[in-house]
Amino acid sequence: MSVRRKIVSSPHDARGVGTSAAASEAVRGGDFLFVSGLTATDPQSGMRMPGTTASETRQILSNLKQLLKRAGSSFDKIVKVNVLLHSMLEAPNMNEVHVQFFPDPPPARTVCGARLPDGMKVMIECTALA
Amino acid sequence: MREYLAAPRPGLDLRQHYGHHQSPAIRAGGLIFCSGMLPVDPETGERRHGTLTSEAHVIFGNLKLLLGSAGSSLDRLAQVHALIYDSIEYDVLNRVYRQYVASGPPARTVWAVQIEAGFKVQIDAVAAA
Repeated sequence: MSVRRKIVSSPHDARGVGTSAAASEAVRGGDFLFVSGLTATDPQSGMRMPGTTASETRQILSNLKQLLKRAGSSFDKIVKVNVLLHSMLEAPNMNEVHVQFFPDPPPARTVCGARLPDGMKVMIECTALA
Repeated sequence: MREYLAAPRPGLDLRQHYGHHQSPAIRAGGLIFCSGMLPVDPETGERRHGTLTSEAHVIFGNLKLLLGSAGSSLDRLAQVHALIYDSIEYDVLNRVYRQYVASGPPARTVWAVQIEAGFKVQIDAVAAA
């Protein structure tokens, strides 16, 4: 049996400057596409875009939409989302943006509060059908 | 294809009770991806705060219901992320966890993180369909 593993690369890495060497933006394995944890970045420059929990979530999901498109997937193929927040008190602000982006029915999701790099407020990783 | 799995009991639909924009579980590619399971009453959705042990018992009861309704079971768990509020309770988690995955436990990672509503534990699971 052949195992399919394919790196999904992009001209503008959505995870921010300086991380390119350490992780792929997304990797396809079998039927699934595994996407690295994304923080809010400018898709053109790759610079981080710190803001509010809502604005960072919006930026991440916009970038994720493009990333999935490049990989031949889409939002309605996402099966699981993991959201890391700087504070669980901000969960409703993240959730409101999710309602705007994710289709009905939405994917499965887990949300937790954690310390994130460079003072960013939101990180989102996901698994989608390829 | 991606298949929506409905909550087997009314209390387990966190979207309905708490507005969380998430499905209870999604089946895809031969796997079942569960949303982070919380210690809520399976009939009413009411939060069941307690010790880490008591919360874990409620969670595993709920997870058993969810997987069972999808034709899977706790014996078919592949990967688990056990989220706990403080790593000092690691041994306490293991004691209760062991009771539910007696034979051939799944791959697991334990994270010490902040959990919603001040809960002490949350279980994030992937099972074979």
